[in-house]
Amino acid sequence: MTSEEIVEKVKAGLADAILDTALPQGDAVIFVAPDCLQKVMAFLKDDPSLKFDYLSDVRGVDYLNEERDPRFEAVYQLYSIDHLHSIRVRVGIDEENPSVPTVSKLWKGALYPEQELFDMFGIHVEGHPKNERLIMPKEWTGYPLRKDYPLTTETVTFSHNRDFKSELVKSKPPTR
Amino acid sequence: MSVTEQGLLERDKDTMTLNMGPQHPSTHGVFRVILEMDGEVVKTAEPEIGYLHTGIEKTCENKRYVHVIPMTDRLDYLNPPGNNLAFCLSTEKLLGIEIPERANALRVIMCELSRIASHLVWLGTHALDIGAMTVFLYCWREREMILDLNEEISGVRMMTSYIRVGGVAKDATRPWLDGIRDFLDYFPAKVDEYERLLTRNPIWLDRTENIGVFTREEAINWSLSGPALRASGVNWDIRKSQPYSGYDNYNFDVPVLTNGDIYDRYRVRVEEMRQSRAIIKQAMEKLPGGDYKTQDNKVSLPARETLHTSMEALIHHFKLVSEGISVPKGETYVPIEGARGEVGFYIVSDGTNVPYRVKLRAPSFMAIPGMCKMMEGCYIADVVGIIGSIDIVMGEVDR
Repeated sequence: MTSEEIVEKVKAGLADAILDTALPQGDAVIFVAPDCLQKVMAFLKDDPSLKFDYLSDVRGVDYLNEERDPRFEAVYQLYSIDHLHSIRVRVGIDEENPSVPTVSKLWKGALYPEQELFDMFGIHVEGHPKNERLIMPKEWTGYPLRKDYPLTTETVTFSHNRDFKSELVKSKPPTR
Repeated sequence: MSVTEQGLLERDKDTMTLNMGPQHPSTHGVFRVILEMDGEVVKTAEPEIGYLHTGIEKTCENKRYVHVIPMTDRLDYLNPPGNNLAFCLSTEKLLGIEIPERANALRVIMCELSRIASHLVWLGTHALDIGAMTVFLYCWREREMILDLNEEISGVRMMTSYIRVGGVAKDATRPWLDGIRDFLDYFPAKVDEYERLLTRNPIWLDRTENIGVFTREEAINWSLSGPALRASGVNWDIRKSQPYSGYDNYNFDVPVLTNGDIYDRYRVRVEEMRQSRAIIKQAMEKLPGGDYKTQDNKVSLPARETLHTSMEALIHHFKLVSEGISVPKGETYVPIEGARGEVGFYIVSDGTNVPYRVKLRAPSFMAIPGMCKMMEGCYIADVVGIIGSIDIVMGEVDR
């Protein structure tokens, strides 16, 4: 199916659960609220003409600088192995108590990227078997990929700066 | 000291907890897995990652698009051109620019060479893990030829950064093309040689057949990709399903096998090396003339000669060097078929010269939970074989 047909089909099947649709550069994109996510995903997976049986990735985005409401977004990329088409599902997540339901009951492959979502953005994934750090150390504080988490550099002591006391230095923002 | 005193065996339970890694030669980097053992059989395997985390995604959010390309080399460090290409394709899709035919052909040649080099590293180390020393040395011999070709075209042996936004860094040189032709003539006999050493070797068969089996449904559900998915009977290759860089112009087969065990993953990758050679051969035969990068001076630098005669070229040159490429607002994702599976960069742009968010879809990262699932119920000696058969690269897992 082409992207237009996918979007039309999803709109027809789930009129009340879809917030918006878009076709940026020809990709099919749908916007969903967190409380409808599991219903939408189950429909996308089970509908015989859509049959999105492969979850490629789950990513988080922090739209703090864009001053967008809601602040966070989780983006799911799905493929259909049989029909060779793809769709992107974008879920806006509030800043207060950010949480999103898990889709790992439908696709086991979501376990790791969803855990990363918690690790890097502090988005609680409801129903996930492990809401704990994945990549960062267990005792780490803060969520590194949030936009308000500063980019720091650590000065390493070498023989030429032996007397230097190691400290965290906030690096300068990039030139725009 | 007894096992109990070391805290490895608790008396009140029947299983033993065994720590493997992070410093273990067969884990291909720093990957740790905690095995719950019942005698020699693995009951559960708990992965632990993050030892190589360097915050590349955060760094990318603070670098210009051009500066991100060398960062992508360091993610999957065995297949850098694949990562460069994935990043450039996503950026180019946002920019909405067309790439010249010659640039596409050079990109394909570079990516397929690197796929062969990556599979050679995999074959060598995988065989070494299982105990076949000779294959390792043979594979390194052929990989060295590809690294020399990389050096000829880009000046660097591994982290080439050859593929750039808008095309490639440099036009093909005569010694490079001649070197590739020599390599293409030399290589098929060498693949047969590896196969003579392994494919019907009874020890190899004992160690690989019906071990680490994943069915078609399991492989799809656990989001495996690339050769591991194709060995489970799924005909899914992004070069065929969502063609990019002109892959639809080449004739090649996608090897698909159905057993989903270590042996089939081995055979899929060996056959892929032959197919990659076929693709390079076709690309060399019909290598189109013309530009090796786009003539859009908002994206690629104008020719050096024009700086002396054209004011406009000088301005473009100054703006590109001092400011970089400005990418229109939007978000996009273009997947490619890397050596390990689906690689792609999800890029969110806010309209400036610095990406707002860069997320790598790393095949090794996505495969780790499935790989640990495979280990359950197998013998401890096979854990090493299973890790090798998935071919993980920790650089892209921890990022």
